[in-house]
Amino acid sequence: MKRIWSKGASILLMSAMVGGLLIGCTNTPGTGDGGEGKEGETSYKLKILHNWNGSSGSDNGMTPVEQVIKEKTGVTLEWEYTKGSETEKVNQIFATQNLPDIYTGPAWGGELDGIIKAAKEGQLVDISDKLSNYPNLMKSIAPENVPPALYEKAIDAYDGKKYLLLQNQPATNEDGMDWLYGFYVRKDIAEKLGVDPQSVKTKEDFYNFLKKIKDANLQENGQPVFPLGGFSNGWAVGIGNTMFYSGASYVDKGDGTVEHNFFTKGYEEYTLFYRKLIEEGLLDPETFTQTDPIAKEKINQGRIAILAAHYPAILDASKEYASAHPGSEFVPLGPLERADVEPDRPVDLAIQGNNVTAITKNCKGECVDAALKFLDFMASDEGFMLARYGVEGVHWEMKDGKPVAIQEWFDKFSTDTNMKLRKNEGISIGLESLTGLDRINSAAGGDIWADQERVAAMENARKILRPNGIHVITAYNPGDVITKAPEWEMLKPSMDRMGDAWKEAVFAKSDEAALSIINELREQLRNTGYDQAMKFTNDNLKGKDIVTVQMPN
Amino acid sequence: MKNRLENSRLWKKIWQHKLFYLFMLPGIVWFFLFSYVPLYGIQVAFRDYTFIGGFTGSPWAGFKYFEQFFNYYQSGDIIRNTVIISLMKLLIGFPMPIILALLLNEVRKIRFKKTIQTLSYLPYFVSWIVVVTLMQRLLTPYGGPVNDVLSMLGADPIQFLNNPTWFYQMIVGSDIWKNIGWNSIIFMAAIAGIDQQLYEAAKMDGAGRFRQMWHITLPGIRNVAIILFILAVGNLMSAGYEQLLLLNGPATASIGSVLDVHAINSGIREGRLSYAAAVGLFQSIIGLILILTVNRIARKVSDVSLF
Repeated sequence: MKRIWSKGASILLMSAMVGGLLIGCTNTPGTGDGGEGKEGETSYKLKILHNWNGSSGSDNGMTPVEQVIKEKTGVTLEWEYTKGSETEKVNQIFATQNLPDIYTGPAWGGELDGIIKAAKEGQLVDISDKLSNYPNLMKSIAPENVPPALYEKAIDAYDGKKYLLLQNQPATNEDGMDWLYGFYVRKDIAEKLGVDPQSVKTKEDFYNFLKKIKDANLQENGQPVFPLGGFSNGWAVGIGNTMFYSGASYVDKGDGTVEHNFFTKGYEEYTLFYRKLIEEGLLDPETFTQTDPIAKEKINQGRIAILAAHYPAILDASKEYASAHPGSEFVPLGPLERADVEPDRPVDLAIQGNNVTAITKNCKGECVDAALKFLDFMASDEGFMLARYGVEGVHWEMKDGKPVAIQEWFDKFSTDTNMKLRKNEGISIGLESLTGLDRINSAAGGDIWADQERVAAMENARKILRPNGIHVITAYNPGDVITKAPEWEMLKPSMDRMGDAWKEAVFAKSDEAALSIINELREQLRNTGYDQAMKFTNDNLKGKDIVTVQMPN
Repeated sequence: MKNRLENSRLWKKIWQHKLFYLFMLPGIVWFFLFSYVPLYGIQVAFRDYTFIGGFTGSPWAGFKYFEQFFNYYQSGDIIRNTVIISLMKLLIGFPMPIILALLLNEVRKIRFKKTIQTLSYLPYFVSWIVVVTLMQRLLTPYGGPVNDVLSMLGADPIQFLNNPTWFYQMIVGSDIWKNIGWNSIIFMAAIAGIDQQLYEAAKMDGAGRFRQMWHITLPGIRNVAIILFILAVGNLMSAGYEQLLLLNGPATASIGSVLDVHAINSGIREGRLSYAAAVGLFQSIIGLILILTVNRIARKVSDVSLF
């Protein structure tokens, strides 16, 4: 009897294990799969991949903002957020065919290349014949609203078909977001060392200031203070490049053609300058390998004297330390000299759409119409303000034709440091990536949730760092043209190595070793068709206005 | 006739021990699903993979991606780094679990032995991301406890990570720490299977504990060690993806860039799936050749082999 029980139990166990293995390998369709998201007469469920690393949504299911969207468009949303590399995510979803209904993500780099490849290989829905029914979407990709090279590369690149929508490009100049990238120093440290942050102008001044901080042997909680640091994976310590060359990826050779900055003398000087900073302990050696929490921990412990990044990120990261240590807030350094440009030149900023959206082939029939209706609503003025400000009458109201925050919510949001409260209401959950042209000032009266102290700090930094104003770049970017060269497939892997090669050179044992790393890659670039691809690019850009000067934004 | 008879005997034997064979079933299904079914994907290495064509519909590309790999300016360095790191792990890391198993076998206090065994297994279950984060916290020269102790002893702080001088020590050391306990299980099992009468006889002949270990325990686990060594040699072209991805930095790239990370980066980060498949296939073919070679050598030298 005992034996029978034992046998029975064994067989049951085996069956469960094998069954589990097999079930685990099967693909169960989710709610949005196959575009079969119809929930009832009045609702259609769409699965959206918000491909921005670190983005997140509400903890409480459907938010009040999403409830309004459901009422207006009949669409309910199921979100997926990316944790990790956005480029990897794009490649992964198309390689595994685990597709959302709507994809939305960065309009640059490998992410954009991946989504363009997907469009060319039949993975996205052609919306060209339906666009005329959706005026807000049409407007967002009208030729006059998209930078020309980007239009040719991503929007109008498929023999008359249309797959991608672009978002967040400024509707007017006043809507252009200047993130105020730069070097920012702790005010108390500058004062302690007797250095006026605005007196630091040249690269020599910058180096001397870092050296002065190092020599002061500053300590915070028993730990040394690094003269210069950044955020995760080295962001954005490399922005000192504009002191060595014009800052654009492709620079003017002086003969009417352009070349990649990687081949310039300025790039070598830039690399060797940073190598010196690492060698002399002026730049945090962990900055290129550290994670975001470790980077922020250092800032919060007061262990970084000068930070390189955009100002909003610096204000957010240093908020806690600055409120506990009054007078220790980060203030702008410089403005630092710019190489190869007139000193009174306005700052050249690329303020173009940062987001592309597409409907994938997973969405078919009714799903496409539901998706377009939803996206068109989000791109309307009503959708724009809903995504940014919340529900009218609940979170904000119109006064004298302008949106004004309801005080109760303004007070709540002003203490909402981790954004959880906002997200639970449906603000900053990814909908802001879908709202067409950015018209935060021209149509939405300015950000109603902005913290006044922060606005004042940004204004102060703007006055210091932009004494000659800004110039919004509208010219052709050679980087968008070179991708059409026949050699691009061979060349791209070598181009993708540039960032890594620069970091390796910065950590090289000697200047010679650093230059050898750069030169080896230059040779590889030439061997994989760089010269031919550049000729193609220059030929295609002949007579056109080209971006050859650019500051980070 | 003879063959048919042998076949029928084999089936009879299998039926007699059906319960044991049933226990093998999940393993067989697992191998079939995860090791044999994906083999059809190898063809991607010889195709220009497109999303729309998939594995079977993409156009043939011949050896284009293998050529690209061998023409890549760093392919020589990457292969060299992979072999060096793998060899170090093999030569230094392989004997470690044997030593641990031998040491544990000599421990007489069962409770102490079990505690040490359990503690040594634990790191195996910790993911590399956690291990590397721990290493970063413990070894940083800026407030890490290891460097604090060094400075208390009057030594200068040491940058252990992202430093070519300490790179191999960190890679091999962390690999041993993570896997030593788990890998020792099989040797512990082999030791447990040694006939106790041999030890009794050796004791009566006056053999001390070291002599017993040398003449009984070590020969007793010799065959298992050879089999595991042959299998380990097959992984010589694979230095460990997660560990190297996390522990290799810009300062150590010249000695720390390996095939596994190169393949994954090319495939997932750059979207060059055919190229990544070609690199992966190259690793597998070299691995297979190594296994066949070492297996043959082992059979000639010691009569022990996989097949």
